Amino acid sequence: MTLFSAIFRPGQDQELAAIDTAGVLTRLLRRRDARIAILILTLVGAAAILGPLFTVDPDLPDYGNSLAPPGPAHLLGTDEAGRDLLARTLWGARISLGSALLVTTVTAAAGLLLGVISGCAGGVLDTVVSRLIDILLGLPGLIVTLAIVGLLGPGFLNLTLAMSATGWAALARLARASSRQTMHLGHVRAARMAGASLWRVAAGHVLPAAASGVAVVATLGIAEVVIALAGLSFLGLGAQPPTAEWGTMLADARQTLAYAPWQILGPGTGLVATVLAATMLSEALRDVTSPGAGQ
Amino acid sequence: MLVIALRRAGQAAMSALGGGVIVFVLLIAAPGDPARRILNIRGIEEPDPSEIAAVRAELGLDLPIPVRFLDWFLGLFRGDLGLSWRTGKPVASEFASRLPATVTLTVAALLIAVGLALLLGVLAGWRPRGPADHLSRALSTVALAFPAYLIGVLLLDLVAVRLGWGRVIADGTWGTVFLPAFTLALASAAVWSRVLRSALLDLDAAGFLRVSTARGASAARNMFVHRLPNALPPFLTVVGLGAATLLGGAPIAETVFSWPGVGRHTIEAITARDMPVVTAFTMIAVLAYVGVSLVVDLLIMVIDPRQRQSRVREAARP
Repeated sequence: MTLFSAIFRPGQDQELAAIDTAGVLTRLLRRRDARIAILILTLVGAAAILGPLFTVDPDLPDYGNSLAPPGPAHLLGTDEAGRDLLARTLWGARISLGSALLVTTVTAAAGLLLGVISGCAGGVLDTVVSRLIDILLGLPGLIVTLAIVGLLGPGFLNLTLAMSATGWAALARLARASSRQTMHLGHVRAARMAGASLWRVAAGHVLPAAASGVAVVATLGIAEVVIALAGLSFLGLGAQPPTAEWGTMLADARQTLAYAPWQILGPGTGLVATVLAATMLSEALRDVTSPGAGQ
Repeated sequence: MLVIALRRAGQAAMSALGGGVIVFVLLIAAPGDPARRILNIRGIEEPDPSEIAAVRAELGLDLPIPVRFLDWFLGLFRGDLGLSWRTGKPVASEFASRLPATVTLTVAALLIAVGLALLLGVLAGWRPRGPADHLSRALSTVALAFPAYLIGVLLLDLVAVRLGWGRVIADGTWGTVFLPAFTLALASAAVWSRVLRSALLDLDAAGFLRVSTARGASAARNMFVHRLPNALPPFLTVVGLGAATLLGGAPIAETVFSWPGVGRHTIEAITARDMPVVTAFTMIAVLAYVGVSLVVDLLIMVIDPRQRQSRVREAARP
């Protein structure tokens, strides 16, 4: 059960595949909640990209200054090793959001390619890919991710690999459905009859048509990816110490929470702001793409 | 109807088998020789080839891979989960002492989540766009934005520090289950309440509601006698699929609260690269997921006669 299904109706991912991207964006920007969400996401993104340029070394311990409360020297206080929590939060944003972007990009690309190949080629290949998609979608994703991390071993790169390995199936199903529709359109059949090869049609007509829908649905899933990545890192399966990452920071904070609750502030605010804004944006998009919207 | 039920059961069997193949591939792809690791635990640091061969035969490692798969897969149903690479003991006996705590946790979380979802969903669906709907929507959006590990840490802070209870006792029994179960339940409750709300709103166009209102039915009677029962199938579907997702969230809730269940044990096993424990947990979750989805789908067929004619439905779909 996913965030996505909380927001969208069953089958709406299929409709999203066929939306007119520019028109939707215009309608989206007319809504206040969507503008606020985009503003928050931009701010968080800017903090992740620019913030680390202005901070001290996030991994530099200062044991004399352990668990200092927020103050002028350390705006968000320090952790048990005396490391500046503002610096760690900003560097952590790079890792947490960067890895979520990486997973989203890899799953979108893999899902798009496999879906289009499967939808265009048909035959045995299509049957095999479709069965694999069915099986993966019939399994609890987070648990299969855990098993793959168990095989590869804990670590940041392994975690992003495992997340990507389970995340592509839903997007591939979407790309496959879109491909099969495109293959039956008049201009594509005309191109085939005029002698264009299957690969040319796939790359020139089918892939571009499927891409925007896959991109939209993949982007909407990013809040879930952020939550899952930070959660598995919280369990010690992702980024390894001393790397600053929001999930690991929360795990560290848990040990000394009773004396220093301010340690939650940075990573907690970052996670909640990101997920809240992404969820608001998804809901706004659901409203503007629903049938009857925008009239 | 029997044909459709059998076809659905066949799908479930395919999912279980497919999941089994994926997990078995992970198990045999794990680096290191299981026989050597088990001999090392038994105190034999430098085993000679005959000892390794004996353990390999004991574990059935020399058999062809399809035979090993069948052995392993059918073993799951007999309660044979293999030997742990960390302790050399049967994984089943390690799980037997921890599974009750996890079952307690997930069942409690399921009850809390269904209760909260019914409350929030009915509240929201009572009068769409009314104050209660907005409140319910705000609550569920906030609940979704706070991941379980963050809620857990905040609750620990609240209970242990602000309320001054010192520490939270989590011993795996019903008496101490509320905090971890609430943590685990919150996100699911938020998702399910949204689904229930939209299922209730989808009914508003239905003719039978206008008829019952015209005949003088109160809002409460409309809700509990007419709308809620008709909104149950989609709600049950998400609850069914989500129930197994709760099992997937168990490792996080158990780790935050030091709950003595299989989820936390599995996380420790991942860190120790103890693959049989990891795959055993995965397969229990996969079988639970597939089994619960099957039961829910069959249940919905019993509740909702429209679902019994799947062919008609498929043809009517746009």
